[in-house]
Amino acid sequence: MAFEDKNILHRLYIIAGCLFLFVLAILVKITNIQFVEGEKYKELAKVNTTKNFVIPSNRGNVYADDGSLLAISVPKYDIRFDAVTVSAENFEKNIIPLSQALSKKFNKTVAHYESLLRNARATKNRYLLLERKISYSDYLEVKKFPLFNLGPYKGGMITEQSTVREHPIGKIAERMVGYERKDADGHYVRVGLEGAYGEYLRGRDGRRLKQRIAKGQWKPIYDENEIEPRDGYDVISTININIQDIAHHALLRQLELYEAEHGTVIVMETKTGEIKAVSNLGRTKQGTYYEKLNYAIGESHEPGSTFKVMAFMAALEDKVIDTSTVVDTGNGTHYFYGKKVSDSRKGGYGKISMGRVMEVSSNIGIAKAIEENYKDKPARFVEILQRMNLDKQLDLPIIGEGKPKIPHPSDKSGWSKNALPSMSYGYGVSLTPLQTLTFYNAIANDGVMVKPRFIRQVKAWNKEIETFGVEVINPQIASLQTIQKVQDVLKNVVEKGTGRSLYSPDFSMAGKTGTAQTEYWMKDFASNRRYISSFAGYFPAENPKYSCIVIIHKPKVSTGYYGADVAGPVFKSIAQKIYIDSPTSDVIENLEVLQASIENDFQEYYELAQKNYAAIPNVKGMSGMDAVSLLENLGLKVKVSGNGKVKAQSLPEGEKLIKGKQITLELSS
Amino acid sequence: MKQYLQHIKGDKAIWAIAALLALLSFLPVYSSSSNLAYLYGNGNTLGYLLKHGMHLVLGFVILYAVHRIPYNYFRAFSIIGMPIVFALLVYTLSQGTTIDGANASRWIQIPLVGFTFQTSSLAMVVLMVYVATYLTKIKDKTISFKESILPLWAPVFLVVGLILPANFSTAAILFSMVVLLVFMGGYPFRYLAAILGVGVVMLSLFVLTAKAFPGVFPNRVDTWISRVESFTDSKDAEEGYQIEKAKIAIATGGVAGLGPGKSVQKNFLPQSSSDFIFAIIIEEFGLIGAILLMFLYVWLLFRILIVAGKASSRFSKLVVIAVGIPIIFQAFINMAVAVELFPVTGQTLPLISSGGTSIWMTCLSLGIILSVSAKRVEVKKETDEENPLDILSEAV
Repeated sequence: MAFEDKNILHRLYIIAGCLFLFVLAILVKITNIQFVEGEKYKELAKVNTTKNFVIPSNRGNVYADDGSLLAISVPKYDIRFDAVTVSAENFEKNIIPLSQALSKKFNKTVAHYESLLRNARATKNRYLLLERKISYSDYLEVKKFPLFNLGPYKGGMITEQSTVREHPIGKIAERMVGYERKDADGHYVRVGLEGAYGEYLRGRDGRRLKQRIAKGQWKPIYDENEIEPRDGYDVISTININIQDIAHHALLRQLELYEAEHGTVIVMETKTGEIKAVSNLGRTKQGTYYEKLNYAIGESHEPGSTFKVMAFMAALEDKVIDTSTVVDTGNGTHYFYGKKVSDSRKGGYGKISMGRVMEVSSNIGIAKAIEENYKDKPARFVEILQRMNLDKQLDLPIIGEGKPKIPHPSDKSGWSKNALPSMSYGYGVSLTPLQTLTFYNAIANDGVMVKPRFIRQVKAWNKEIETFGVEVINPQIASLQTIQKVQDVLKNVVEKGTGRSLYSPDFSMAGKTGTAQTEYWMKDFASNRRYISSFAGYFPAENPKYSCIVIIHKPKVSTGYYGADVAGPVFKSIAQKIYIDSPTSDVIENLEVLQASIENDFQEYYELAQKNYAAIPNVKGMSGMDAVSLLENLGLKVKVSGNGKVKAQSLPEGEKLIKGKQITLELSS
Repeated sequence: MKQYLQHIKGDKAIWAIAALLALLSFLPVYSSSSNLAYLYGNGNTLGYLLKHGMHLVLGFVILYAVHRIPYNYFRAFSIIGMPIVFALLVYTLSQGTTIDGANASRWIQIPLVGFTFQTSSLAMVVLMVYVATYLTKIKDKTISFKESILPLWAPVFLVVGLILPANFSTAAILFSMVVLLVFMGGYPFRYLAAILGVGVVMLSLFVLTAKAFPGVFPNRVDTWISRVESFTDSKDAEEGYQIEKAKIAIATGGVAGLGPGKSVQKNFLPQSSSDFIFAIIIEEFGLIGAILLMFLYVWLLFRILIVAGKASSRFSKLVVIAVGIPIIFQAFINMAVAVELFPVTGQTLPLISSGGTSIWMTCLSLGIILSVSAKRVEVKKETDEENPLDILSEAV
């Protein structure tokens, strides 16, 4: 066969050429993947292999003013059971002991747990819920139960951790402490302190970019977190848990007694504006009460007679009346522009001073005084009220503050001839409980209107981040003279006015009752009267420390509805309890009074003890205690009989001192 | 140094390429071993590095030893080797190792050493040299088709048939390499066409039998079909998964690559240190790294052409082609799989992929080539000495 080596090489070159083309095709394909399809695959790589993990930050705590916890985040554990992973042998061996342990721990019968577990195994349930939201210590205990102690794969215990906000003081002040939740759209639902100070409490979640590796694990890409998590700050609130507790229970008792619809109590520290307690209780269908809504801040309503103080003060400040100005309240009914106004006492109060008008809370009295002085210039009256900040919101950090309403003659609607007299006794105006209290607190604080405050401090561990001080809304809402007159009137209300049932000689209070009709515009009002009973004031009457407002909506009329009867006792009980419960600190000075005789005795002994003895000293006449210590210090063994002063000593004075020798002393008193 | 270098004979460029490939191989092998260490080991990657190093050292010992053997000896070795290869292949297949019920008997355990060895790789080298020997023998004769059946095609079909059940791709490549070699060796075209026909018929018979009687003998027919299907339809099969990961690796690598050890896809590619190592190389070293690697293989191809071209005898030319072209072919197939130019096969990247058999057989092949090129140099110096084994090969 004539096949030359040359031909082999030619064919080889053809093959090599083909291989070269092949390698070029590979190269083209690589560039195609990289540049034409590149974006798609890079995106796929990103989606499949990297993920930004959120490192949740710990939410800060909310503390009471004394450092007690109001809200704290704690881990909770859901315990589930995988009935399939457990071997038949282990299951049968442990089911009874496990059921017994569970039964003991969670107070259900052994049979209940046994059938639950067996049923789960029969139905191949791999996710049987055993217990929800148990504490960490319970979780540790459950982990040691029979079967569960074999570990998650052999024992089948599944644990899911979640963080739960807990309120150590329970339901008390729940609404005030509030909460903050993120809804599905990522917006925060913000309630109470938690909501108001969420910015501080929340902290900042961290981020860590991780890359997927085999076995479904993720490894961090970089050494450091992309965003370091920062734990939330702690918020020290102004709430005092003792006062809160008192307020809560006093309100609750009264609500239950009067079967009222809802009620609220606020206690505020006069000088600083710190809110010491807020209780908001609403009625359930079953007739029990719980922290339903933040009425204290959110509910703006017609204040009724508590507003007479504002009207009275405006007129005083304008010097159109004085406490001694006499007004004729007539026979208890009076018509203003065809509208009937009546006083609570049948037959009326007749001619009385303005001070007395306030004490007895005469609607006619205050309405007449205001009407007479301002009917031609109602705007002036309203503007004085406005100067006292009554028409402005308090600008609270807590969301949902109700808007105050003080109508002005220039308003397009809501003003009539009747508006002025109605306003003077608290109708046609609207304030929230906290707004009313802020005004009363200003009276107690000699005219300085301070802003109600809910937090004192924001802290990160022990480091102070921000401190909140007193904020003054209005440095002087009225002249001191006016304020003092009003203070006297408020004191008299309790001593001899509508609030006299609250009077106690042991402690002083000042305040104003209020009994306002509500929903009087509804058709069934005549047959089903509804009232808002209130009491606003402060205590002690002199140098007030706290101001307080109690508002109870729709008490059962047959039981009572007057402010003094319904709201007043809550106020009194808070005032009383704060007095009684606050330990008075009596400082005893000069506890160690030097007594000359003792001092002399000691001096004598001291001189004797300082001497250097070579022989037995004479201890006769010395007190036994001194003699024993003196002799023992010399190295003698002392035996004592009797008590009192030394009468005789067994070794005579002047005998040579021998250490360890025994001496007997005879004492007698 | 010079002293040592003078022991090294033959084409210096091939030596250089082999050394370069071996050195470079540490980078991707070490990188992708991290996943193996995590998945199957105790997390220590040093073991994999040492193992790869030992494979290479042993490979270069083989390379050195083989290249010192005068190439004429290989004719005899191939003839002696054929029965041994048959025996080994039968033994391998008879082990009956299965992967998911499919025959996957590819390896035998080497006693004492603890290494596993893929016998089909050895069979490939031996068979190729054998075919070259046969072609040399018939160079001046005119043979009939019948005459070539027993000495040539019977052993070829026997070896391919023994490899086929467990390893389709190697069998197919081996068969194509034989056909290619026979084509270059001057075997008549007509006969070759007939043989190709026989090959196709036999393969079809095998597939049909396996399909018709699935339980008769374990085979991997279903795997091949699914692989080919997934290549043509790009179905979302396991192969589709591998290819997707490989393409992601290539795309993220870009021009410059992510850097040594920074591969992400090595965690998801099951054969990241062998079958899909090219994708990992592109991911870590980019297009630049890929081009460099391809250049090394093309250069090797070029050197093989030169050695073959300058080889003095018919056998030396054919044996260089017989063992040289499969190395290059294997390399390019491996690359083509990673870039989805070719269905998924189990071919390794010669001298780069981890795995002892692949390294050793590549070294054996390179040793043969170097032996030829070394001989050429010596031939110039002295006359051909009498080779006792030539007599044996003439006799068979």
